Amino acid sequence: MMTRLRRVQQWFKNLALARKLILVNVFLIVVPLGVIGAWSFSIFASKMEEQVGKYQLQMLKQVTLNIDTYMNELNRLSLMPYQYQEILDFLGTSRKPGEALSLQEIDDLNSFVSKVFLNGRVDIMGISLFGEHGASYVVLPESQYMTTYQLGGNTEWLEKAKGRFGQPTFITTHEVKSTSGTVYQVFSIARELRSFDSGDTLGYIVIDIDPAAVRKLLSQVSLGSKESLYMTDSAGDLVLRKEKTAIYPVIDGLSEEGVSHHTVDGKSLLVAHISSEVTGWTTVGVVPVSELMKDSLVVRNSIILIGGICIGLAVLISVFIAFRITSPLRMLRTLMRKVERGDLKVSFPVQQWDEVGQLGSAFNMMVSHLSELGYRLYETEIREKDAEIAALQSKINPHFLYNTLGSISMYAEVEGNREVVTMTNNLSRLLRYSLSGRKEIVTLRDELDHVQGYMTIQKMRYDDRIDFRLQVDESLYSCPVIPLMIQPIVENAINHGLDKGIGEGRIQLSCYQELGMLMIVVEDDGIGMTSEQLGAMRQRLDKIHDLGGTSGNGLMNVHRRIRLHYGEQYGLQLESMPFQGLKVILTMPIAYSMTG
Amino acid sequence: MRSLSFRSFVILTGIAASLTLTGCSQQHIEAAVTADPKGSTIQLNYWTPFSGGDNLFMTEMVDQFNQEHEDIQVIQMNSRLDDYYSRLRTAILSGNAPDVAIIHASSLPQFVQNGYIEDLSGPAKEAGLDWNVYNKAGMKAVSFQGKPYAVPMDTHMLVMYYNKTFLEQAGVLDENGKPVLEAGEAGFTHFLKQIKQAVPSDVAPLAQPSTRIDSVWLWWSLYNQIQGGGKFYREDGTQTVLNNPAALKALNYVDSLYKNKLIPPNIPDAFKLFNEGKAAVLITGVWATGALEKNEQLSFGVVPLPTIYDKPAAWADSHTLAIPSQHDMPQEKREAAMIFMKWLAEHGAKWAEAGHIPSISAVMDTEAFQSLDYRSDYAAAANSVAFWPKHTKQHSFIEDIIRQFEKMIYDQQSPEQALQATEKQINQELSK
Repeated sequence: MMTRLRRVQQWFKNLALARKLILVNVFLIVVPLGVIGAWSFSIFASKMEEQVGKYQLQMLKQVTLNIDTYMNELNRLSLMPYQYQEILDFLGTSRKPGEALSLQEIDDLNSFVSKVFLNGRVDIMGISLFGEHGASYVVLPESQYMTTYQLGGNTEWLEKAKGRFGQPTFITTHEVKSTSGTVYQVFSIARELRSFDSGDTLGYIVIDIDPAAVRKLLSQVSLGSKESLYMTDSAGDLVLRKEKTAIYPVIDGLSEEGVSHHTVDGKSLLVAHISSEVTGWTTVGVVPVSELMKDSLVVRNSIILIGGICIGLAVLISVFIAFRITSPLRMLRTLMRKVERGDLKVSFPVQQWDEVGQLGSAFNMMVSHLSELGYRLYETEIREKDAEIAALQSKINPHFLYNTLGSISMYAEVEGNREVVTMTNNLSRLLRYSLSGRKEIVTLRDELDHVQGYMTIQKMRYDDRIDFRLQVDESLYSCPVIPLMIQPIVENAINHGLDKGIGEGRIQLSCYQELGMLMIVVEDDGIGMTSEQLGAMRQRLDKIHDLGGTSGNGLMNVHRRIRLHYGEQYGLQLESMPFQGLKVILTMPIAYSMTG
Repeated sequence: MRSLSFRSFVILTGIAASLTLTGCSQQHIEAAVTADPKGSTIQLNYWTPFSGGDNLFMTEMVDQFNQEHEDIQVIQMNSRLDDYYSRLRTAILSGNAPDVAIIHASSLPQFVQNGYIEDLSGPAKEAGLDWNVYNKAGMKAVSFQGKPYAVPMDTHMLVMYYNKTFLEQAGVLDENGKPVLEAGEAGFTHFLKQIKQAVPSDVAPLAQPSTRIDSVWLWWSLYNQIQGGGKFYREDGTQTVLNNPAALKALNYVDSLYKNKLIPPNIPDAFKLFNEGKAAVLITGVWATGALEKNEQLSFGVVPLPTIYDKPAAWADSHTLAIPSQHDMPQEKREAAMIFMKWLAEHGAKWAEAGHIPSISAVMDTEAFQSLDYRSDYAAAANSVAFWPKHTKQHSFIEDIIRQFEKMIYDQQSPEQALQATEKQINQELSK
């Protein structure tokens, strides 16, 4: 498990940046959208079911209320005998089956029944009065009255009506047959009638009603074809069913009111029911859950469709964005590969100043530095080779030279030739400074000593035609400088300034500090340079790195070394006027040596 | 940064979309629940007073009409005849009247007064109803001041049913299956006495209810059979002339049938008795024919009411179709009502199955009508019928007569007293 996780982690880490971005974006789009979609759909579905349940219950309440109102009317109607003493008297009489009625009784009963018919609802189909002691007056639909009906023939309702303390009983749909043979469906309300004086049961009144009236109340409810609405009595037997609706088996065990789920024949049904206090009947509304879901399926599909479109668009856009963002990075990578292969002539086009732009600019800088460094390395390598050759050339033992010069000096001493002694000693010192040590850094004092030794020899060579003046800021003596830096300049001044002239030449060497830089100035008063020569010279100095290290010119050599050592901003500057002499200015940073 | 903001945009859109969706669909569901397509069919409330076994046929006709007319829906409401007019009067007075109602020709005057039912001459013209197709008696019954106020649907009169088995036992049945009757009061009494001797004691020789209108019909028929009889009002209509020798003669004979127990006492339902094989002879309206024909165990015959006196006559009435006036009856409803009424009369052959005689003369020539038993006899008998006179209070006068006759039958007064009391009562009401 852990390894797999780690492998996935690793796989993800190794994924291209664009893909990583896409993956993350897609994840961040799909998951919340999916969760929201699923969540809102499930809430919607449950809310809808709840609402439908509530609605159904409300509807059933309304229907039940309507039916109750209707039943209450019947209920009141069944109380009418109590207002007609003659009816109560008739019911109390004891009679033989089929015993004839007196004209008065017929009148009374007929007018009573007519009143019930007329004052009651139009849908009353029959009225029956039964006495405890054999009296009966039964009016069936489309028939004249009968007196032959006896209690006990239809015991079921009688049992129900008995012992309810005079409260009415509603009898579910049953059939009655008229004299002409037509069969009618009716349901009835039955009530036990009692005598106030004796408290005994006098008899019963049964009013038959056309179920169409109640059916009409039910039919006011509009239902879908798969839905069902019916009423059951307290025993669970079907009383009425709304016509033209689906038929589901009667569901048992419903009491009071509520909404519940039932599974019948593998179908999940949402069942709302409410019991009437008046009739004791339960009105039941049934909606198959699949029917409910049909509506919510539309919603679900719309959510999926729109969600899918949104996700698709979002993914497309995120892919586009991911590629847009990573495309400079990929370009940088390609450029880097080129650099890797040695192609340094590349440049990253910086178009924006974000992280990637900054990276690109840094890359550009790096590449340019790299190419410069490469150049320097190249030059250093060549110069090292030169130095090696030079070292090979000077493989002649310097000590042999020094000793020989020492011997010459001694012979000259003996001979009393002071000039030779001085020249030899200075030469020896010059050689020693030049050849030995190979120090990287020397002090300015060392350099100036060397120049003075050299000038001593030159003065002797030129019979003191050279007027060499030295002017040094005392504090700069300990300044570290690179060796053999001033001597070639002075030599150049002698060569170009004096050799070609006649008469005395003046060379002025001055060292001072200016703007935090060490300034070493060598001035001669020789023939100088024409402005063309000077321009050519300056150009050569500027393009020094292009020239390679082969130029033997002393000035160039020094200039190159200073620049290599200290940087581009230092080096040689030339000032000259024709026949006015040449002024060479060396500039370098001042660095007070640790060694002092 | 860009991708982040985009993502939040997507999520917000998603939430909004899903919320909108759920909102929409909830509305959709509510709409689905409340939507209840209601057709543009015209509903006609149709009130009928059938209680003699003929309602079955009317129900079939209404069903057939509804099937044939998709745009009209007739809802029949049948009441007991006993309560029917009381109910109809209340409905009209309370602005609650049905769109079409059956009204007996005898009751028409009380509804024509005060414009309780509509004058149909206009609507009939629009509906293309030709009054000439109806028989003259029918048209006479529905016309007031020359204007038709109802569409006659049938004529029905008193006929005599007899149980062939019992008549054969008594030897009063000829080879054609017709009763053997001698003329006059004595002849008919003899006929019944012969039966009484032959049949079991619980079988009524002649079944007539002890109460209600039946005895009045019989009396009216016999009164009309007497030469010079059948007068109800004085010429000027201000007084009744019921208390006369002819009327008394007829009533005496009716009373004698009860007194001699040829009509057993305390019969609540004579039709039921005959239908159950507990009566040999039954005098009632033609409407019982269809219902009795449905009883396979019963072998019966029907003849026109026997002529006991000078000329044949039988009480008759007519079912007519009227449009009770309503405050704001839409024209299309009135048209639909006319279509329905016309249709009912045209389908008189079907209605004849119940026993009634069609109001359209042409219907009597149809094969459907001719193929029915007894009906041709009925059609012949229809030529000598005795309608009640047209009077706005006729209905309540008949009620008065019934009350007095019931007292007579229950031995509380003599026929003379009954007629005197009746005349007194009616004259009292006429003078109001």
